Amino acid sequence: MAKEPMRVLVTGAAGQIGYALVPMIARGIMLGADQPVILHMLDIPPAAESLNGVKMELVDAAFPLLKGVVATTDVVEACTGVNVAVMVGGFPRKEGMERKDVMSKNVSIYKAQASALEAHAAPNCKVLVVANPANTNALILKEFAPSIPEKNITCLTRLDHNRALGQISERLSVQVSDVKNVIIWGNHSSTQYPDVNHATVKTSSGEKPVRELVADDEWLNGEFIKTVQQRGAAIIKARKLSSALSAASSACDHIRDWVLGTPEGTFVSMGVYSDGSYGVPAGLIYSFPVTCSGGEWKIVQGLPIDELSRKKMDDTAQELSEEKTLAYSCLE
Amino acid sequence: MLPNSLLQRMVKWCPWLLRDEPKQPVKVLVTGAAGQIGYAIVAMIARGQMLGPDQPVVLHMLDLPRMADALNGVRMELVDAALPLLRGRVLAAGVVATSDEAEAFKGVNFAVLIGGWPRKEGMERKDLIAKNVAIYRGQASALQQHAAPNCKVLVVANPANTNALVLKEFAPAIPAKNITCLTRLDHNRALGQISEKLGVHVGDVKNAVVWGNHSSTQFPDASHATVRNEQGEKPVRELVSDKTWLREEFVSVVQQRGAAVIKARKQSSSLSAASSACDHMRDWVLGTPKGTWVSMGVYSDGSYGVPKGIFYSFPVTCDKGEWSIVQGLQVDDFARSKMELSAKELEEEKAIADEFVSIERD
Repeated sequence: MAKEPMRVLVTGAAGQIGYALVPMIARGIMLGADQPVILHMLDIPPAAESLNGVKMELVDAAFPLLKGVVATTDVVEACTGVNVAVMVGGFPRKEGMERKDVMSKNVSIYKAQASALEAHAAPNCKVLVVANPANTNALILKEFAPSIPEKNITCLTRLDHNRALGQISERLSVQVSDVKNVIIWGNHSSTQYPDVNHATVKTSSGEKPVRELVADDEWLNGEFIKTVQQRGAAIIKARKLSSALSAASSACDHIRDWVLGTPEGTFVSMGVYSDGSYGVPAGLIYSFPVTCSGGEWKIVQGLPIDELSRKKMDDTAQELSEEKTLAYSCLE
Repeated sequence: MLPNSLLQRMVKWCPWLLRDEPKQPVKVLVTGAAGQIGYAIVAMIARGQMLGPDQPVVLHMLDLPRMADALNGVRMELVDAALPLLRGRVLAAGVVATSDEAEAFKGVNFAVLIGGWPRKEGMERKDLIAKNVAIYRGQASALQQHAAPNCKVLVVANPANTNALVLKEFAPAIPAKNITCLTRLDHNRALGQISEKLGVHVGDVKNAVVWGNHSSTQFPDASHATVRNEQGEKPVRELVSDKTWLREEFVSVVQQRGAAVIKARKQSSSLSAASSACDHMRDWVLGTPKGTWVSMGVYSDGSYGVPKGIFYSFPVTCDKGEWSIVQGLQVDDFARSKMELSAKELEEEKAIADEFVSIERD
């Protein structure tokens, strides 16, 4: 018996990340190879023709899983009945631009989108905010969509998480799928804290701690962290464009693990509404290690936090508190 | 890990022993990988859309020296995406990014040739021939010298059919059957148009044919296409009430779809081209479903009165890694005239290409 289609919204769908993301969704990478989808694509009126071009291409690709495409500039039509919302639309970061530069432009966007989602999305709609500043955009969304359960609003730090796995796999010359349980703490920004203290590598003699195998704390506490933190800028420098492929792929991973569950013994990183775990202030959207099961995420509790980690976790929480203040000042 | 020679003997004589052995990685080359279609396709290949979700892949990406930074950016993003299928045998490196043809082609089992001169709004296909003959002659040498035996090649860059022909001419050691060009995009576009016209899901439409050149003279033919509904498989030509639609609007919309997408997006089709290239290769390697054929640009053997010696799109089925032309389909006068028109264009393109080739030789 074929599954009922799920409706997936992508905002900013005419942009670079949207263009990379929609074929992934249409091929089942986000929700599974047996889950039919109906794509809702939203963008701003100046992008209407381009958005229609994307719709044409989706039709042209004859995807078996794609049961329908709605391409619109109307936020109500876009949000109606959606089960998953991936908010890519926002002001894109360009070379040299700091994340805070884009803050005020995005606050008003996310306030408006919050109302529409709240009023028109399907019950229990799962939301992933990608557009930067992701954590604060997600917070604005949460604040202005009070009837959406706060657990349903998340932001993307899976890209940073995957980048961290990639860096370790390159350093150790192992398959990236043999590395797991890095953690990205905090803000999807240059203050994020990529933490390998609980990360492991599958070897022929079992799971081994990354710290032991790398045997270079200076690198792990220094260059490794910096590389992951600044990877976004490095991609922009090389491509002259923001990461699209890897952002889209990681967004699919985030939703897929959330909906279908994380493998046994594995945790992933998600930006979620803080409940005060690990001494992180409540009321921020902060990236934590989580496991997922039955369509719900849960923060992994009880991980020992050393002094160096504590400081870094606090620094990124501090930045998020400042962003929150800045965002609220933009609303006045 | 078992040595390759032992593995090959086991595959032949006692395959049941290898039941749980993970597949050996294969090498897939994408040329023009720093471009738009390349960017779309590498993500799809790395997720198993081309060769199956259990087939590890080493991606070889080639582009021009001036694109080296951008290409490295793509390589970085592939690492950043932490894709489980992207892995090599020895050093675990799943991605090679290079501007060196020999390195790019070395040991590849599959080659998707996207690199070439891109079509811009208003540009005629024949304008492209001159620029691409030199490129494809070089690629042919590299392919012949460095690729793995039985490498399967898909030419995407336009003019696709003629580029494939140049490739074949200059890589005589490569079996002609291993060189193909992409008309699966047109085929998928045809299915899409039929599905929209009939208000059915595209997954229920099959067996359109795209005959000829991947150009505006292609002939999208719905006369053998069927739709699956509650009563079974029904011919499209019976379900479409407007008989002229199939011969006129349907044909011209599919023929000109590339231009329509450029007009809307201000850029060439990338998403749909990349996706269709994956479909083409996947069906070739893993086989077409029973009762279904697809369209591929292949070296003509004279079937259906099409001249030999050109790359022409035919209806094909695929099995055990080989394509074969579906024979015996009825071709009426209308279809015949369209098919001949496209064949004629291909012969003209061939003549133009031959001119440039002999200029190069001198």
